[in-house]
Amino acid sequence: MDFSLSNEQRHWQETARKFADEEIRPISLERDAIETARETWDWDIIKKGSKLGFRTLAVPKEWGGHGTDFVTQALVMTELAKADSAISKAFSQNWKWSHLISKSCTEEQKQRFLPPFVADDTFVLGKGITEPGAGSDNRLPPDDDPKAGLKLKAERKGDEWILNGEKAFIANAPVGKLFFIDARTDATVPLRQGTTMFLVPHDTPGFRIGKVFNKSGWRFYQNGEMIFENARVPHANVVGEVGGAVRKAGGQGGDTTGGDIFGDLELAANGLGICADACETAMRYAKSAKQGGQVLFAQQNVQLQINKMFMLTETLRSFVMRVAWEHDKKIHSFNAGLAMNYSTYVVQEVTELYMNVRGADGCRMDHHTDKLCRDAIIWTHLAGDTVQQMKVARRLAR
Amino acid sequence: MYNLQLSPEQLEFRDTLRDFVEREIKPVMLKADRIDVRDRSLPMELLDQVSQLGMRTLALSEDRGGVGADALTCCIVTEELAAGDADIAALFSETSRLGHVLFDQAMTDAQRDRFLPAFLENDGFHLAVADRETGTDTRLGVNYSRPVAIARDVKTTAAKASDGAWLLNGNKDCVANAPFARLFAVEAKVAGAPGTRFVLVPADAAGLTVRAHERPWTHGPCGDLVLKDCRVPADHLLDEKAGDLLAKADMSGRGNPLFPALNLGIARAAYEAAVDYAQIRIQGGRPLAEHQAIATKLADTAIRIEVARAAIWQAAWASDHPEAYADRSLPDLPLQTIAQVFTGEAMLEAAKHAAEVFGAMGVMRDMPLQKYVHDTRVCLHTGNGAGDAKLRIAEAIFRYRRPSDTMPRAAE
Repeated sequence: MDFSLSNEQRHWQETARKFADEEIRPISLERDAIETARETWDWDIIKKGSKLGFRTLAVPKEWGGHGTDFVTQALVMTELAKADSAISKAFSQNWKWSHLISKSCTEEQKQRFLPPFVADDTFVLGKGITEPGAGSDNRLPPDDDPKAGLKLKAERKGDEWILNGEKAFIANAPVGKLFFIDARTDATVPLRQGTTMFLVPHDTPGFRIGKVFNKSGWRFYQNGEMIFENARVPHANVVGEVGGAVRKAGGQGGDTTGGDIFGDLELAANGLGICADACETAMRYAKSAKQGGQVLFAQQNVQLQINKMFMLTETLRSFVMRVAWEHDKKIHSFNAGLAMNYSTYVVQEVTELYMNVRGADGCRMDHHTDKLCRDAIIWTHLAGDTVQQMKVARRLAR
Repeated sequence: MYNLQLSPEQLEFRDTLRDFVEREIKPVMLKADRIDVRDRSLPMELLDQVSQLGMRTLALSEDRGGVGADALTCCIVTEELAAGDADIAALFSETSRLGHVLFDQAMTDAQRDRFLPAFLENDGFHLAVADRETGTDTRLGVNYSRPVAIARDVKTTAAKASDGAWLLNGNKDCVANAPFARLFAVEAKVAGAPGTRFVLVPADAAGLTVRAHERPWTHGPCGDLVLKDCRVPADHLLDEKAGDLLAKADMSGRGNPLFPALNLGIARAAYEAAVDYAQIRIQGGRPLAEHQAIATKLADTAIRIEVARAAIWQAAWASDHPEAYADRSLPDLPLQTIAQVFTGEAMLEAAKHAAEVFGAMGVMRDMPLQKYVHDTRVCLHTGNGAGDAKLRIAEAIFRYRRPSDTMPRAAE
């Protein structure tokens, strides 16, 4: 057992910490307060971060990226999220799909898509799975019901596929340049067998972005509607085999370091950043704010709440780093999913404890405290609801 | 005897309100532009109707022209209104509560004659008590079980002018109902007298400025007052017992649990929305309601809501029957505070469970679930918070008496 970081890992952690402190934190609350969902995104911070490598962190070195390991990625996500969880996610969302390109795309596809992605500071990636009528059904598809799950239809016509349908809540949809889109290529078989993944550039004819969803938390990070009306995608953009989308996303346990498994680590590492922020701010507040002539920290109840905040946060940190390390060592494990589930409990408990320590100031609540609680609530449907828990339990049972 | 069978009047009240909420309030309040937690503006078009249902004068005695509802009825009504809209419920329950304290108990006959007719007549006439100032700290906190006086530092002053009128100077903060109030009871120090007194200040008094808070972390309209040589006639001073009445309603821990009733109403609305949705949303080949995981969550939510209501109704009944404390039918504990803490913690969990049923829709600002989660969070973190309330309960458990206390002990 060796918990020490390499020089390279420490370098990335420190670079991320500096960028988070100097660039992200100063704009975090300002971006959160923007009322119009479509306007919360800030290209300046994306460009600045991109120049430091935070957009292309997970692209292999031979393709011009930084080729960092999972431990580094976890460290960076946590540091960035400590300043703003949604901005951290805006960067790491690109890593999630960089992993997918590296693992699942052909050399020809990599050649077409990776160099433009690496070269352009405003090139961000996304993936469309969820639809208005299919959320949980995509995560836990019932084996016996071909009707359940996503319905976006793709039909082959010569060298092209014609896509028709709608996606909802798709991260980075309003800002992305390239998307992985899951579509039904065979509606007569269950989701796992009948779904194909396509690479769809944002300027594909017949493809457009609809509304931007107005979320209570993660304001910076945009989710949008995708509308496909006879959108034409070349056959050369099929990722993997026709009918193989779900397997490619890592769902079948073959490739445990692919997109989906990174996604589990990602949410846990990002949540850890929120917790670290809450712990640090709570401690600072408790040691400076006074009640009855003494600092709050003088009170047993405040000490107990802060103890619990740190206890949960450091437990999550241990789990996150272990999962990252296991990925790097290619150790087959289901811990990523468990860490993701666990992070939901921890991030919500820790932010609520933080709000307890902080308290309301008369008829006002500190904006930062409120934001952390709103951001933490996002974990429920992404990482810790009953479907996500059962999904991990079923992986364990295999 | 404590009896959970509601009277025909109570049932009628509840059903009338429930129906009104379904027909009139929800269609307005559940529109996308009304469920943004940052916009707490009230639907003015509905307020007169709510008043005409008797909600402003609910607790005021029948003799004085009110409904004369007891504490339990007030809680039932507040829960129903809050299930429609927490801000409307907060506005009316505060006016109703203060109407009873001010007109039935605190005012002299002359004061009542001066203000009551306008209060009864005008559907837009609301009441507010201004006792909080910036920096006011009523937390027990570090002074738990310590013989330190927890005196609020009131800086607002009331001085006699040469013609006998009162001149008030100072600032008040976080005054519930302020933007809608036509009459304030303002706490001030009176030169040459110990402690503080309350002065009746009409909203149109010269020298009074009311500023509405745009996004308060509270329910109902809220604002601050600036009193600059604010002049009111000599007979607007409330007598000394008014201070006790106004303070006791908040601090005794044995008052009417209106606030937890409001909290309950919010979570019930979330729960009902989730129960409806669980029956129509199909995932996994069947309605959500037929999945163990969702069923258990909704059962947990129902448990929290029912237990909270039991605690609230018990406390409400107890506040109407102080003799039940006296003869030891009830424990010597602040049942109102106990109901508030349990409800605050349980309803946030209830609202989070309900929101989970909606998946991503549970966090969207144009859907009501995020508002219910926010609103229950506001309830849990209103005032001094649940942690401080537990210390007050603990002082009651150990029968702690603060020697120089200006506030009544929790269980008194």
